Amino acid sequence: MSTDSIRVRVSGIEQVSPLIREFTLEAIDGEFLAFSPGSHVVVEMPAEPRPHRNAYSLLSDPRDSGCYRIAVRLQEQSRGGSVYMHESVKVGDELTITPPANLFAPNWNAGKHLLLAGGVGITPFMAYLPELKRRGADFELHYLYRGSSTGAYREQLKAELGEQCFLYDSEAGERCALGELLAEQPRGTHVYICGPEELIAGVREVTEELGWPASHVHFEAFAAPQPGNPFEVELSRSGRTVKVDGETTLLEALEDAEVDVPHLCRGGVCGQCVTRVLSGDIEHRDEFLSAAEREQGDCIMPCVSRASGKRLVIDL
Amino acid sequence: MQIDPRIKSRPLYDPVVIRSKAKKHLFIGAGAELDALYASLPQEQCIRVAGGADGLTEALRAELDKVFDTLPLASAVYVCGSEGFMWDIRNLALAAGLADEQVQMCKPSTKERRLFCTHCYEITEGVTHSPQVCSACGRLLLVRDHYSKLHGAYVGVQINAEDPADIPETEELV
Ligand code: FES
Repeated sequence: MSTDSIRVRVSGIEQVSPLIREFTLEAIDGEFLAFSPGSHVVVEMPAEPRPHRNAYSLLSDPRDSGCYRIAVRLQEQSRGGSVYMHESVKVGDELTITPPANLFAPNWNAGKHLLLAGGVGITPFMAYLPELKRRGADFELHYLYRGSSTGAYREQLKAELGEQCFLYDSEAGERCALGELLAEQPRGTHVYICGPEELIAGVREVTEELGWPASHVHFEAFAAPQPGNPFEVELSRSGRTVKVDGETTLLEALEDAEVDVPHLCRGGVCGQCVTRVLSGDIEHRDEFLSAAEREQGDCIMPCVSRASGKRLVIDL
Repeated sequence: MQIDPRIKSRPLYDPVVIRSKAKKHLFIGAGAELDALYASLPQEQCIRVAGGADGLTEALRAELDKVFDTLPLASAVYVCGSEGFMWDIRNLALAAGLADEQVQMCKPSTKERRLFCTHCYEITEGVTHSPQVCSACGRLLLVRDHYSKLHGAYVGVQINAEDPADIPETEELV
């Protein structure tokens, strides 16, 4: 990680739902910076052959620079970051994180904020809430979870927010009627969604159908990099060829080969890692490029996207 | 004096299209382009507000405040008139909780520009030539292509600050 990484010590670990653990992080050197609600950090965990690097939303009060808190849902299918956090990280351990970056900030011009959380997607909103309350903003939280696995913080939220908090335990058969909820919102409402892809896709579809302005629909859609087929990438400037195996992302393979690519979220949303492609077909897996840019086929987001064929030539 | 071609903030006006998913369509101003769109929609989905020839008057603003208050989240606003007027409407709509993409403007009805003086912050309406004397402070202003969305106006900067006797040739604005 680059020089602006921050060394932290894990000062507390709490199981906040059967599958979600909360970690309290303290700065080892000096103090943390305050952050804006919706910010995330990328946590680097030591591992072989290379560190795990996962983005997590900060859930502590943004004005509290004494500690940062994150919550990690155990993803058995994942590439190991969440398993590492759950099984290997102990109180007192050291980790490094990036400074907070925000791709999911509230729009303070909104007349009303409608927060939709799915499972561990509650985390960015934990940081929204204190700020929404301080500003006296109009808001509602709708929280969808599975009682036996997710649903962290729900009692606390219900107690603190009362009528502004709506809980839906899918295992108890409680459904959030998205169509109705979104149809009855007043002019000036902004909706924020953080949760599984299906929830985000569902809300985007419904709001579009209902005639919502797209700029009032906000979502946080980190794509965890998924495995794929191995391929080779040729670096046009040096003529080098780098192999990318099925379990490794293009960004990681480049880093392993000591090729520097700017990056921030490592999840296909921030746009930092965009790299020019000179030839070869691309399997786009990011949320950043527009349909037109994908069509053009001359850019790739190496943190999540891959070659669809055997070989790519990139402008590095 | 040439207007800097690198300045890209001058607004472009694409043809107005109906936002088909909108529940209410508000038409403001008079113009053939709006008439045609208005006629293409069921009456009960439309609101029509005339005016705009004299800009955003107090009476029109009061009327529009009431109308905006009745609009649902899924609304669309279509406006025609002078450029400055259309941006006034857009700013009013934004203040009422609408989004930029919900407000569509026709091609400005005239080439006249509203000019914002960067020295005294006052507005001069109906500007057709550059340089132009500021109606408030009397400075001679170069009319730039740089557009302030907030003021719905082009930015004017004093052209002969060094030497008041240096009066450049007047050019017609396009
Ligand atoms: S690092 Fe953010 S899109 Fe790749």
